[in-house]
Amino acid sequence: MILELRDIRKSFGSKQVLDQVSFRAEGGKAFGLLGRNGAGKTTSIRILMDVFPADGGDVLIDGQPIDYRKVRIGYLPEERGLYPKKIIIDQLAYFAELKGMNHKAAVKAADYWLERLGMAEYRNKRLDTLSKGNQQKIQLITALAHNPDIIILDEPFSGLDPVNAMLLKDVVKEQIAMDKVVLFSSHQMSYIEEFCDSIAILNSGRIALHGDLHDIKRNYVRDRLVVRTEYPENIIADFGGQCSRIDDCSLLIQLAAPEEKQSVMQRLTAAYDIDEVKVFEPSLNDIFVEYAGNHTDKEDRQ
Amino acid sequence: MTQFGKILKFELKYYFKNKIFVGVTIFLVLVIAAVMFFPRIAGAFTKNKQSDASSELPVMLIKTDSPELTEQIDGAFGEAFTEYQVQPTSDSDNVIQDMITSDKAECAFVINDMTSYTYYVNNLSMYDQNTAVADSVLQNLFRMNAMVSAGIPVEQAGAMLSLEINHQTENLGKDQMQNYWYTYIMIFALYMVILLYGQMVATNVATEKSSRAMEVLITSAKPAAMMFGKVIASCLAGLVQLISVFGCAILFYSLNKEYWGDNPIVASIFDMPPGLLVYMLIFFVLGFFIYAFLYGAIGSTASKLEDINTSVMPVTMIFIIAFVVVMYSFGSGNVDNMLMKLCSYIPFTSSMAMFTRIAMSTVPWYAVTASIAILIVSVIGIGVLSAKIYRVGVLLYGTKPKFGAILKAVWKA
Repeated sequence: MILELRDIRKSFGSKQVLDQVSFRAEGGKAFGLLGRNGAGKTTSIRILMDVFPADGGDVLIDGQPIDYRKVRIGYLPEERGLYPKKIIIDQLAYFAELKGMNHKAAVKAADYWLERLGMAEYRNKRLDTLSKGNQQKIQLITALAHNPDIIILDEPFSGLDPVNAMLLKDVVKEQIAMDKVVLFSSHQMSYIEEFCDSIAILNSGRIALHGDLHDIKRNYVRDRLVVRTEYPENIIADFGGQCSRIDDCSLLIQLAAPEEKQSVMQRLTAAYDIDEVKVFEPSLNDIFVEYAGNHTDKEDRQ
Repeated sequence: MTQFGKILKFELKYYFKNKIFVGVTIFLVLVIAAVMFFPRIAGAFTKNKQSDASSELPVMLIKTDSPELTEQIDGAFGEAFTEYQVQPTSDSDNVIQDMITSDKAECAFVINDMTSYTYYVNNLSMYDQNTAVADSVLQNLFRMNAMVSAGIPVEQAGAMLSLEINHQTENLGKDQMQNYWYTYIMIFALYMVILLYGQMVATNVATEKSSRAMEVLITSAKPAAMMFGKVIASCLAGLVQLISVFGCAILFYSLNKEYWGDNPIVASIFDMPPGLLVYMLIFFVLGFFIYAFLYGAIGSTASKLEDINTSVMPVTMIFIIAFVVVMYSFGSGNVDNMLMKLCSYIPFTSSMAMFTRIAMSTVPWYAVTASIAILIVSVIGIGVLSAKIYRVGVLLYGTKPKFGAILKAVWKA
């Protein structure tokens, strides 16, 4: 299954929130939708989920306009919250039923997930008797119980302890392996890097960058080298302004041109005591700051 | 089951599992039971008492200054006050007062002559009619004596004084006296239930929004299905409560009918025509929908639960004004005044105004039909508009949006 948003436009009043937003997410892979606060991520998700219509553009599944009666979507919103005073199994079954399951199947699915996430003992308790982390796991069940084709997880790891984060990672990997479209939205870049094959960065309602994460990294100009050594001083003295420190044992060397890469690498390994030398590839964090940062700063200042 | 059906079921379950809802319903049924069984229980006690001392009627003392009056007055008072043991006395006024304050006698008439007396009583009840009865007895005696001394034979004078006029009333419309109490109760029930359950809808929506359950809900169900599910569930809950309370009242009354004897108020309440119950049902449901939709829409615009009270104020005010207009016209007896006629066609007021007019007066069928038709069209219109406001409102957080801004957003949606 391929989910595609094509040329989506949306404005609230005079404010244009989304402008020609297009991206593509494939089944069996995780997709990261990134952007700063107010960049238009939630609006994109809401349009994708048919909470409100776009002013223009299409939401497509395998090239055809999406049919919400056939495609099931699971959603874990960033703003968490369910019915605090209601019994957990009642509300889990209710949400699954709203997504099209019959009552019996909904209860069965909810029970499966309660067991899977180690929450079975809370089945008949009220939600507000649970800790925040456990409430979050209950909320995750509302996104998964109805066996959705598309899973949208907005900041799924926030508020989880390392053990629960590991549990969630396993669940997400399981869902990806089941050929589902998993769409992540998060500011925790490490998780996105770990899971997502492709990303889109939204900046002030426009797609600033979109594509395969590996390709994006490789397409950066390969004119910098990262050197790890116990004796950085010698290299700094020789390379002068070309060289900057990353930390105590690591240096970044700026090349005059990417073609110099091989010769400089040979020179470094021949002349100095080097533990490691490699071409610098930006982290997702660097890419994010580059593509999502400046524009919005400018707008904020305005 | 459709999404709407699932929402309806979930919301109804919420009411029927709600301890306050169940508690209030049981409490009301118990109160009704206590009231309805009261004469039977009280009757059982008084019966026991009567068997112990069957002639324990309260004592009324009569004192006359002139001996020739005594015989005439004692006889006449004895006939007039059958609920008292009328006892002549010649004690002094002080002794009489002591007897009354010490509960040996309930009241006393100290009669100076035919045209003046003093009435002694310990606590003057609001409903004490004794002086009026005494006035009439003395007036009759005085007139009788005057006629006899003017030469008119006693029998003729008696016939003249006891002359009765035969009259018949042919009521071609409604008897307001007869309908007053049950109409009063029904309007009040209509008012209470609409206000209570309407506000419950608003609170319910605002709770979902403030707890952020709405974030998932709005992506799981259509706003119209959610709005209609909630409103109809709360309408059904209100109806169930009304039917249980009224049903129990009718059941308990029929069990205790003989003990209530011919108490005119109670008899008139339970003598309501079934047709009126049907009208009550129609106006209750339609009136409820109008307000519940508005309350739901308003609830969706509030970010915090605390905002609800101020947000719903304008709608509550409209409803209270409608209630006051209806109650005022109802109390004055003129339910067909211009204001009431006008209110019968305004959807915000017609549920109460038209219902009152149907109960208390004769309204042509076409007026009733027009009023119901306007209500139905308004319910649909307000329902659709509310679902749209709801769709926009539930996603708005932060400062409360201005009404104009919401309408603009609704127009665009």
